[in-house]
Amino acid sequence: MKLRDLFLSDKNGKTLPLKAAFNLLLLTAVIVTVFWLSVAAVGVTFDFSFLSQFSTRIGQGFLMTLLISLSSFVLSLLLGIASALGQGSRILALRYLCSLYVKLIRGTPLIMQIYLFFYILGTAWGIDNRFIAGVLILSLFEGAYISEIVRGSLLSIDATQWEAAKAVGFSHSQTLRFVVLPQMVARTLPALTGQLASIIKDSSLLSLIALIELTQTMREIIATNFKLFECYFLLGLLYLCLTLPVALVTKKLEKKFSYET
Amino acid sequence: MKKIAIILSVLVLLTALSGCAGNNAASNSKPLVVAMELAYPPFETKDNNGSPSGVSVDFAKAFGEYVGREVVIENTAWDGLIPSLQTGKADMVVSSMTITDERKKTVDFSDPYANALLAILANKNSGIKSIDDLNQAGKKVAVKQGTTGDIYAQKHLQNAELIELTDESACVTEVVQGKADAFIYDQLTIYRNWKTNEGTTDAVFIPFQDVEQWGVAVKKGNAELLDQINAFIAKFKSEGGFDKLTEKYLSEEKAAFDKLGFQWFFDVKS
Repeated sequence: MKLRDLFLSDKNGKTLPLKAAFNLLLLTAVIVTVFWLSVAAVGVTFDFSFLSQFSTRIGQGFLMTLLISLSSFVLSLLLGIASALGQGSRILALRYLCSLYVKLIRGTPLIMQIYLFFYILGTAWGIDNRFIAGVLILSLFEGAYISEIVRGSLLSIDATQWEAAKAVGFSHSQTLRFVVLPQMVARTLPALTGQLASIIKDSSLLSLIALIELTQTMREIIATNFKLFECYFLLGLLYLCLTLPVALVTKKLEKKFSYET
Repeated sequence: MKKIAIILSVLVLLTALSGCAGNNAASNSKPLVVAMELAYPPFETKDNNGSPSGVSVDFAKAFGEYVGREVVIENTAWDGLIPSLQTGKADMVVSSMTITDERKKTVDFSDPYANALLAILANKNSGIKSIDDLNQAGKKVAVKQGTTGDIYAQKHLQNAELIELTDESACVTEVVQGKADAFIYDQLTIYRNWKTNEGTTDAVFIPFQDVEQWGVAVKKGNAELLDQINAFIAKFKSEGGFDKLTEKYLSEEKAAFDKLGFQWFFDVKS
């Protein structure tokens, strides 16, 4: 075996576990070295001893982030599907409304939506509960993205499939159930779980309206002890605990639904 | 051949990174980097052209002249001020920062050059007349995250619910809309926000706490710079520098404070 082969995947696309482990170890070593050098260059020392004192609050914040993300995921899924269908509607007002919703939400930053929706719409309509307001705002934001995912896969189903289904005697609902829906699920599911990871990360911005989720908890702790680096380091790890499993599931789903291979 | 090229480029990258480590020693020819959050008029703010302006900016520039170094103002969010000293991105922080024991663990402070008291901006319907009215279960208190108002509320208002926000204007909005019963911040900010929202808010000026003293912060252990700053503050004070700054930026507020019987920012008792 040549030295070069140690760093390349085999011709058949497979990689021996030992070789994979070796390369991963090497990469980890390089990343840790670069990080360590950077930390040394800046002259910062890490001190995590304060953490035990805050473990309950951090745990609560973590659960809050999870709860916000899951609630928003469900709600934005409903919103997204409704808006995707609405964009194909023959009722013009509905079609324009849905398309305007997607364009406005996707075209503006979340931070603006959070402030305006919470302090103007929220106040005007009496939504004072920060959790409810936060979930609603986040769902509205993510729903626009999900709408585009769903609409994209709807469009990708060719019109000839409807005709073919009709030709073999399928009714409209049968075509939906046996032809369209299975393809839709296959095409959207991986993208939708990917969107869940985005929701988890985007929920951190709700700290701006003092919704005490993970990021806000960390900011509150930083405000009292100035452990900015330690807190954000831990914050990153905790978000990864949520997003990495989601990424794993996304990959599994992608594999499961790729019929070609 | 390719292998060697890759190894070489990794080596170059690593030396470049470690090279950055060696360049941190400050020399006198280098400009003095002063960090402040330009969001607290008239102490730290921007003029209409977007350049830094205010009491702290003039103060920092006067210090630069005193030590013969060019001054660069680095606009930094409040959360990032102390870390910018720790990481050497800034030499000093002049940002109306109160000297606290907790902060002293992380940075060193100069002699105090100004002082401030906290005050309450209360919602008109909240019935808040004193700080004791606020320390009740069910009362909601807005604070700007990391400020002395925040620290005070955490220590003394344990019965009330805290709403910690990053923007001063969000805190004021919370009070105006009644989402929070009150906002705790320094007297000047409270005075100004009360003036613009007189219909919906009340200002409660009660000296319920010790005077807060503002200091210049430097990286822990930077005694050389700290000595220069202390000498400068004494000189600036004796030459009436702060009176001139008051006249330039704060004449109206000075009159209002005098009428209310408040201690002025630069009347520092040592």
